[in-house]
Amino acid sequence: MVKSTSANGKKFTARVAVVAAGVVSPLGFGLSETLDSLREARDCVNRVTRFSVAQCRCKTAGQVPAERLLDKQCNRVRARRLHRASHMIIYALGEALTQEPQFKPELTVIGTTSGGMSYGEDYYRSLKQGGNLRHSPTWIANYPAQKPVVDALEAFGIAAPCQVVSNACASGTNAIGHAFDCVRSGRYQRVLTGGYDALSELVFVGFDSLQASTPEKCRPFDRHRAGMVLGEGAAVLALENFNAARARGTTVLAEITGYGISTDNFHLTQPDPSGIGPRRAMERTLQSAHTSADAVDYINAHGTATPFNDTAEGKAISELFDRVPVSSTKSMMGHSLGAAGAVEAVICLLALQHQFLPPNINFRAPDEDIHLNIVANKAQPALVSTVLSNSFGFGGTNASILMRKFDA
Amino acid sequence: MSLAIAGMGWVTPLGSGIDPVWERLLQGDEAQAEKITEQFSNQYYSVFRVPESALTGSPRHPRLRRASMISRFAAAAGLEALQAAGVKLDSQSAERMALVFAISNGGVIYTKRFYRDIVEGGAQSASPLLFPETVFNAPASHLAAILGITGATYTLVGDSAAGLLAIRMAEDLMTNEALDYCLVVGAEEVDWLLCDAYRRWRLLRLAPPVEPFGRIDRGMILSEGAGAILLRRDGPIIIEGTHAGGNYRKRAEAEELMKRILRDLSRTKIDFVISSANGTFIDKAESRVLQQVIPDAFVYTAKPALGESVGAAGLWQVILGGQALRCGELPPLLHARRTIPLRISLARVSVVASGRAIVLGSGVNQQVAGLRLSIR
Repeated sequence: MVKSTSANGKKFTARVAVVAAGVVSPLGFGLSETLDSLREARDCVNRVTRFSVAQCRCKTAGQVPAERLLDKQCNRVRARRLHRASHMIIYALGEALTQEPQFKPELTVIGTTSGGMSYGEDYYRSLKQGGNLRHSPTWIANYPAQKPVVDALEAFGIAAPCQVVSNACASGTNAIGHAFDCVRSGRYQRVLTGGYDALSELVFVGFDSLQASTPEKCRPFDRHRAGMVLGEGAAVLALENFNAARARGTTVLAEITGYGISTDNFHLTQPDPSGIGPRRAMERTLQSAHTSADAVDYINAHGTATPFNDTAEGKAISELFDRVPVSSTKSMMGHSLGAAGAVEAVICLLALQHQFLPPNINFRAPDEDIHLNIVANKAQPALVSTVLSNSFGFGGTNASILMRKFDA
Repeated sequence: MSLAIAGMGWVTPLGSGIDPVWERLLQGDEAQAEKITEQFSNQYYSVFRVPESALTGSPRHPRLRRASMISRFAAAAGLEALQAAGVKLDSQSAERMALVFAISNGGVIYTKRFYRDIVEGGAQSASPLLFPETVFNAPASHLAAILGITGATYTLVGDSAAGLLAIRMAEDLMTNEALDYCLVVGAEEVDWLLCDAYRRWRLLRLAPPVEPFGRIDRGMILSEGAGAILLRRDGPIIIEGTHAGGNYRKRAEAEELMKRILRDLSRTKIDFVISSANGTFIDKAESRVLQQVIPDAFVYTAKPALGESVGAAGLWQVILGGQALRCGELPPLLHARRTIPLRISLARVSVVASGRAIVLGSGVNQQVAGLRLSIR
């Protein structure tokens, strides 16, 4: 195969196929429920039930129903000891492996921001308040960020090593992007990737303390947006060398064709208002894919609905793209942090497969400073061949991936 | 693909700087244990802390003003590695450098303080200044800002194997010819809460010494600090290959994984192995595998002297391996029995024959990885 070098210097030899995917989020369990929610523009954000939010400004989040999550686990006795983050990623991986039972990854790259944080909270509260520490070994054992990933791999007998990426809210996209680079470079044939995060009190209160979360509806890119709401979930994608996947006759769901990462050193929690960080990530993605902005049919924006993020991202998108349809699906399910990039990659996959634009709900009035073509409030049928997904996070980390429809 | 170590940086309970720390290890020095407690408990734990003097002369940067100790350790180690390599970054060269971070528990001190305020005073008491520092990638973000890195920055979370997994990631990243360098940093800070958690997990000993490869797993002592290596494509100390290893489900399975890693990495003559032995179940597993796979290699662990620094541990091991290859000797193994069925030395010992070493990163939380070093 002829080697070529991309504009940003990457030598690559391989096309990268997505051969399986699985997801659980407030939008639903699995691809089918997720598709229904997207098409029907469901608002899946509701009042937080897992911990007290009495003192918080924000009272809502996108939540995965706990009982249903447990019902989906094969071994309920063992499952009760695992963190709900493990349940989510086990479910997502199970769905992907239903499509590709023979998928044996050489590497696993998964994003998260907080691992089994709520078990750390249980442990600390019990210690401090003299509570019952009988469950402390379970809490401690299931707290590390790699544990849910190891649980999921173990549940399906997968022996691949895991790299757990924690790049704040960009973790999921960074994980997929790195996995993509690994296959594209020819060093790996098959890599399992994705992201997960479960809602926790510490993180919820953290965003509330920053006044980044809103007591109102989440309205990305709206003139009256007042902040984000949190969410949770997990998604995995099975990536494979395109030629190898085709040779064994497997179904290619889509291709990942580009990835860009940038770091803006403006502030630990705020993006550079010029939008330079997101812009660099998107430019590098297009360069990496050897494609132009004109080729992009839809952008799944990071779109947290915070004034700062949406202004910077909106500026970057409008400078690079000409009226490309944009939506933030966080409006429907909240911001699932380390899972967000992975869940949104699955949403992009569904948009490519089912030829529609996922909606940006709760949108009432355009912001005069943000010049975007928002897919407002309803899903729209469309010809979609190439989609871009953005994720940006604390620490000034920015990541984008480009996916392309595959026609056999 | 092989990579070379262009520079190294070290912040440890025995001080900072590659040469001073190395010299103290050769002298057989051991970090001073400090007893720490918590307001709501009478339980004391011994830890190896980084002395304040170790950060004298470390960078002053607005980003570090309110940053946690882990960020300060990381910045000091990272800048030392760059300085040792003679690399001065401008906006163009910073664009051609990636940063990969390895951590395990992250900014645990601020995380605990942030959550303590919530528990004591409710959500309205939570500090918006502390929350951003609780995020795992805060130390990487600070270092990227100090260095002006605008490209790839990754934080990997894991156990003591995370450092080696970060080097593996760096190796993958360096296939991109747009990169000239990758700075890999491992960092950790210690806190009472971590000690308590590890004790409940039966992995911690209340006071030193750490007895490596002992008959009984008496436990480890937690420590803190950072290690950094600057990777480029050529140089005198070579990372000949990394092994991403895998995850073990039960402790008994760890041995099989270690065996696979050692077999894959020891297809050529190996002079010594930098082990992860820390006084826990890891020691017996490593010991049995080392006896089976490479019985002739010297085995050394610095954890009796420096403690278990978890997220920083893998980088410390690589630094030890690099230094031993460069200097041709290993420090004395502290607190070990003479009868251990491994090739160890209780005094400093000359080691380099073939000029190759293995670093075995065995974590207590299910991850194992390895790599092989050589010297030109």
